[in-house]
Amino acid sequence: MKSYTQIPPGTQIVIGCAARRRRVLERTICSVFEGWSYEEIIPPIFDYYDVFVKGMGSGPEEQIYRFIDREGNILALRPEFTSLVAKTVATRLANSPKPIRLYYSGEVLRFEKPKGGRQREFAQIGIEHYGGSGKTADVEVLLIAVETFQRLGIQGFQINLGSVDFFGGIVDGMEFPADQITQLKDVLNVKDQSGLEALLEHLPLGDRRKKILRAVPHLTGDKAVIAEARELVKNPRSVDALDHLEEIYSIFERLDLAQHLTIDLGEIRGFDYYSGILFRAYVRDLGFEVASGGRYDGLPAAFGEDLPAVGFSFSVDRLEQIVTPTLEIPDVEAASIDVDDGFDKALQLRRSGKAVKLCL
Amino acid sequence: MLVIALCKGRFLAPSLDLLTEAGIRFPEDIASSRKLIFNSEDHSFRAVLVKPADVPTYVEYGAADMGIAGRDVILESRADVLQPLDLKFGYCKIAVAGANGISEGAPPNTSRPTIRVATKYPRITMDYYNSRGIPVEIIPLSGSIELAPLIGLADRIVDLVETGRTLKDNGLEIVEVIAESSARLLINRAGYQTKRDEVLQLIQALEKVIR
Repeated sequence: MKSYTQIPPGTQIVIGCAARRRRVLERTICSVFEGWSYEEIIPPIFDYYDVFVKGMGSGPEEQIYRFIDREGNILALRPEFTSLVAKTVATRLANSPKPIRLYYSGEVLRFEKPKGGRQREFAQIGIEHYGGSGKTADVEVLLIAVETFQRLGIQGFQINLGSVDFFGGIVDGMEFPADQITQLKDVLNVKDQSGLEALLEHLPLGDRRKKILRAVPHLTGDKAVIAEARELVKNPRSVDALDHLEEIYSIFERLDLAQHLTIDLGEIRGFDYYSGILFRAYVRDLGFEVASGGRYDGLPAAFGEDLPAVGFSFSVDRLEQIVTPTLEIPDVEAASIDVDDGFDKALQLRRSGKAVKLCL
Repeated sequence: MLVIALCKGRFLAPSLDLLTEAGIRFPEDIASSRKLIFNSEDHSFRAVLVKPADVPTYVEYGAADMGIAGRDVILESRADVLQPLDLKFGYCKIAVAGANGISEGAPPNTSRPTIRVATKYPRITMDYYNSRGIPVEIIPLSGSIELAPLIGLADRIVDLVETGRTLKDNGLEIVEVIAESSARLLINRAGYQTKRDEVLQLIQALEKVIR
């Protein structure tokens, strides 16, 4: 039996000023979401395990906290919100007019190594947009991410935008076993040039394909990257992805926001459910990403309703580590009341909306 | 300013040579100093000295933007960092070795159903044996690994082999090579994006030296 003074690894306790700051941060972000007509959804903290496996795909399921209820059902503490929201949209909100715009704020739990200020229980806050395909919905969620950073007064944030279809189109035509595709993804994921070369030696690929794969890790930067990529790929899926990214980039240029956008075609990580654009947000001098998201058109279909979907989430625990100059954390100023005079004074002040602190 | 984490020990001299050739000079004699932080002459780089096994941690957290460490250390740490360059020094192998060269399928001369493996690399060892479906008991040690099979602590070892001389001198030989290792450049994922121009400049400078 562990001593009650210990807390389980991966949990944390937020008190006083730090808790106040967290709530103001969350409230500020929610007000941005509400300003774009997103409504809050408060999903349960646990649901059937299958919901999350269906949503997240294989791999991350080992991070899920599972338990068995008294009827023998396997339940899970939510490891993320997107699967829960997608399920709700596909079932309870199936007949609601589209698009559906929802936001959520709360704790999720994953059995993983706590790092970068993110524990096993951590706070996420994000949006989900259902029923809008194409660039308008994509741009909408990106603009909301940008406004969130701006509202918090965070300088030097950057959104890296890529597409799973770009790399997907490249590997679609390659007919080799799944484990080799995995190896290929592993070396590209860490931009390991020598590892890639070693792998390419054994893969039955033509020079053109090899040239594309060698270029993938370096396709990061401004609009010029898209032009560079166009020289390399000719398959329709990748080309469509490039067209789409270029359109989004042009819109950001017109809105004078392109300085916050980086095209990143070398980014191939993410949950299995992503299907189109994919993005991650970074802030200078924080070693971990603070937000991530993308399009996951196949996800609502997994729950029975074929709907396009796009969204993102911020990591509240990581945002807390960044200087947020515009965030005002109010000091609680309370009038000290001597109770020897009776409680009348205290009640009177409370009725007029003033804070009181009783002296004992 | 970019912060670069360097290993104390055998990697330090070649790492500093490489940086010097890439145009990054440090005014102090890092190898003989007891300080842990050094600024480059033009103040565009800061070197920090850490234990080899800690380099991936510093880089993953972004406490250092980049680092130089062996592939063995990166694999063992499972740190989520970019590894764009093989720096072409510090070549060695991560290998399974034993007192005799009989194959892994037939357990060594022992009545134990589960073989014992002594190592400084418990995760690499576990991954290797798991992928082969061989049950093992891993004995984590921090040095003189070669001793373990000689006095009956373990049946096998998983260790770094450079020339094979230490193994030979102790009557051991390689059973199988798990992975090749050499010095790698590590880069923090977020730093690669938010300080891209500075990072890419350094990568290109290092690439030129290596070629």
